[in-house]
Amino acid sequence: MKFSLNFVKEFIDLKESPQKVANLLTMAGLEVEHIYREGHDWILETEVTSNRPDWLSIVGIAYELSALLRRKLKVKIPRLITKPLLKEIDIIIEDKEGCPIYLARLIKGVKVEDSPSWLKHKIVACGINPVNNIVDITNYCMIKWGNPLHAFDFDKIEGNVYVRRAKKEEKFTGLDEKERILTEENLVISDERKIIALAGIIGGKNTEVDQNTKNILLEGAIFSPVRIRRSRRAMGIETESSYRFERRVSWERLKIASQEAVNLILSLGGGKLYGCIEKGRRPQKKTRRIVISLPHLENYLGERIPKQEVKTILTYLGFQVEKVYKEKLCLKPPSLRMDVSYPVDVYEEVARIYGYDRIKPTLPFIPKQIYSSFYQFKKVLRDFLISLGIKEIITYSITSQSLLEELKEKNFIKISNPLRQQENVLRPTLLCGGIEAVKHNLNQKAFSLKFFEIANIYFKEEKSYKEKANLAIAFSGERNQAFYLKGVVREVLRFANIKDYSWVPTEKANFTNALDIVKDSQSLGFLGKIDSRLKEKFDLTEDLYFAQIDLEKLWEKREPRYFSPFSRFPVVFRDISIALKEVKFSQLEEIIKKEAGNYFKGVEVIDIYQGKKIPPQIFALTLRVYYQAQDRTLTSLEVDAMHDRIRKILGEIEGVILR
Amino acid sequence: MLEEIKKIENSFLQEIERVKTLEELEALRIKYLGRKSFISQAFSQIPNLEREQRAELGKVLNATKEKIVFLLDEKRKTLSMQEEKIDLTIPPFPVERGIKHVLTQVNGEICGIFEKLGFIIIEGKEIEDEWHNFEALNIPLEHPSRDVFDTFYLDLPPISKDKGKLLLRSHTSPSQIRVMKKMRPPLAVVSPGRVYRPDKVDASHSFMFHQIEGFCVDRNINFSHLKGVLFYFAKSFFSSQVKLRFRPHYFPFTEPSAEVDLSCILCEGRGCSVCSYKGWVEILGCGMIHPEVLKACKISPKEYQGFAFGMGIERIAMLKYRINDIRLFFENDLRFLEQFYEV
Repeated sequence: MKFSLNFVKEFIDLKESPQKVANLLTMAGLEVEHIYREGHDWILETEVTSNRPDWLSIVGIAYELSALLRRKLKVKIPRLITKPLLKEIDIIIEDKEGCPIYLARLIKGVKVEDSPSWLKHKIVACGINPVNNIVDITNYCMIKWGNPLHAFDFDKIEGNVYVRRAKKEEKFTGLDEKERILTEENLVISDERKIIALAGIIGGKNTEVDQNTKNILLEGAIFSPVRIRRSRRAMGIETESSYRFERRVSWERLKIASQEAVNLILSLGGGKLYGCIEKGRRPQKKTRRIVISLPHLENYLGERIPKQEVKTILTYLGFQVEKVYKEKLCLKPPSLRMDVSYPVDVYEEVARIYGYDRIKPTLPFIPKQIYSSFYQFKKVLRDFLISLGIKEIITYSITSQSLLEELKEKNFIKISNPLRQQENVLRPTLLCGGIEAVKHNLNQKAFSLKFFEIANIYFKEEKSYKEKANLAIAFSGERNQAFYLKGVVREVLRFANIKDYSWVPTEKANFTNALDIVKDSQSLGFLGKIDSRLKEKFDLTEDLYFAQIDLEKLWEKREPRYFSPFSRFPVVFRDISIALKEVKFSQLEEIIKKEAGNYFKGVEVIDIYQGKKIPPQIFALTLRVYYQAQDRTLTSLEVDAMHDRIRKILGEIEGVILR
Repeated sequence: MLEEIKKIENSFLQEIERVKTLEELEALRIKYLGRKSFISQAFSQIPNLEREQRAELGKVLNATKEKIVFLLDEKRKTLSMQEEKIDLTIPPFPVERGIKHVLTQVNGEICGIFEKLGFIIIEGKEIEDEWHNFEALNIPLEHPSRDVFDTFYLDLPPISKDKGKLLLRSHTSPSQIRVMKKMRPPLAVVSPGRVYRPDKVDASHSFMFHQIEGFCVDRNINFSHLKGVLFYFAKSFFSSQVKLRFRPHYFPFTEPSAEVDLSCILCEGRGCSVCSYKGWVEILGCGMIHPEVLKACKISPKEYQGFAFGMGIERIAMLKYRINDIRLFFENDLRFLEQFYEV
């Protein structure tokens, strides 16, 4: 809310500088976001939290300052006049829940004209445009007391006035000249024939006060916050009036604000008060009493505030300290402070005025808690991937349905109220983010991209849903990273100490040469190269190698790690150059393993030839076989004999050519 | 003979001057000291000579050989020193490194500080229900206090009637509820994670961002402890020089509540564009956990009390590294990612 400091000064003496006042309010919870000079006045723009509707009025701000500065207020309460009774029309409240109380005052013979400059200045300083003296007076009273009022042109009202729910598709044109089609959520004020106001939100064009208006019906009411909220949300509108009703307005000040408006209309616009009517009443409520215990207050804040100071603070805030019983205070909160109902609410009041900054910081004793967690697993896995030279990315969990359909994904979860079509579903795969990040960097002419992400994927499951942590690895920018990717995935499996898993070639949408990582006949994840269709679809200038691993399964299947003894005798290796046609490396490996028996230490591919001289379907490899004994040094004669035998056996397989 | 030795020596002296490489030097060595060299040949002839001649020739030959060996050695040193010279103005080769995303770095640093104080880390869920995201946190339905928590709802059937509709959590506070329902005090927990709000994307808004929730519950945890813990955090994370300001605020799930401002680390409180000339920047919200929240978790507010706080990781990272656009975090441009090193 924007307010004028001069306006506040009418109700409390302030010698402090505007900056000092702004700081005082900020440190009491009414944050002053901007402060600037306007002529002889200062304007303060504040952020009012939803629990403090009392700060949406000048008098409310003056109250706060009076407590902060321990200074007397100069607020004059007008004498309330409720006679004569209004006889010309009746007010009928049909929705008593939506409108517990409705006051109307009929003033006849007014002259509608421009407001005097003092009035204009006041409402303009508080951010409201002047209209005419009558409308400006209602706004002035709203700003001063916090209770919105409305003035109707009485002669445009036909018959009695009703407070009721709108019927479906009833039409209404507001003072903003917009026609709205109403729903049953809307609370309206109507006469016998038409709707004359969207209750608590905006008045109707059909009963507007204009230059020709002579007679005025002045409305003051309490509308239910929930009703106003639903009504204005249904219409997508928010006004100064609805803003206040939604946050609750004061019962006590309703009559005061209405009376002051009447007085001002009579003095500025002339005319005569013809009648008053009041329908509905304030529901009987037990008076709130809060008992606070000073030792508990001290234990809650961790600060000892003397009893006398607590009492002074509360008194200035308008609390009645009714009883003091040893270390307990029985309090009656000020009626305006509907937010205060628990002892902790009172503690906040005391702490706020005492000053949060005066409470000394101390460190608590926290008993040590033992825990091991999945979070920790993810954290060390992240460190591990970084040690492999891979860079972490963070991509959006929300993506577009059209993209997922492109990826042939099903079972994804839709967002019911998306902001844009680009972000309307939760991703069931980390591929979307990986592609985006790779694409972005390829377009920036970066090469050698090695990315990983640890994040959740989300998908529907029969009558339910899943949110699962996954690891994605994406490589691009360099040729033929299939085996490097396979190597990194193997490292991840080693990291979790997964044993007895297998790489199973699989068909996977969007991928070519995909492998499933299978353990106990469950898939832990997959890896592959995205197919040319997708590559083209996303305009990728390079191939993208991608793996995704289910981290919950990895965590579940991980095994404890123990030291395994190793042979200290030297390893000997021999190479075999070989060309394969429709024979897989894994077949050779098995034979080598079997033939070398206990002396088998390992076999690796140290080179893959891909040249013009070699026809397709043929893979030319150089294998390096490692031999080692557990208990002695192998002689080269022994190794040669074994190796030659293996060479011979391999050479006899159909499709194997020794080179 | 002696004359010839002198001649050999002179020709060696001339030739060694012309030597430019170690290979040439080796050739020279072979030429003058090799098996077939004049000097080696001369040595092998010594036994055939007269006794006096032997001594004299031997002396001269030895002296010459020593001189040649010495000069060859000197030359080798000079040559090898020359060859080690390279153009050191050539820039270093690029070295690839793994990098943690800056948000992970900042998150890890923040969590680490709280871990030192004895907090443990427990993650919550991103898909939440209305009960955990709102009701249990004392945020009533149809109340203006819900306006700041605009939320993405999901097209999923509710898990149970009393837990309400499913949504993407709009803050990490529901973690508080999940932990307090499952574990009993004493508790000191931090819970980091992704949160979502239907905000239009611009330099300072994103529909997805990260928060860290922290809370501590025991019999005597109070507001002074809250201040102590947050001071410890801010001084460890930013610098021991920073000041904090606790400003009363309103959150439905805490009472008393506060927003915490950090003295602007850029202008040190003098006022600049980062702090909108206020000298302070807001970094987090906090307060004493509302008794209704404890009750919702079946923890008696008569026995236990505690504090809670929540902060945005992007905001803290932006302040620390003076990053001016939140979108940079999710673009994953190498030129951005590579700027950060874990501290």
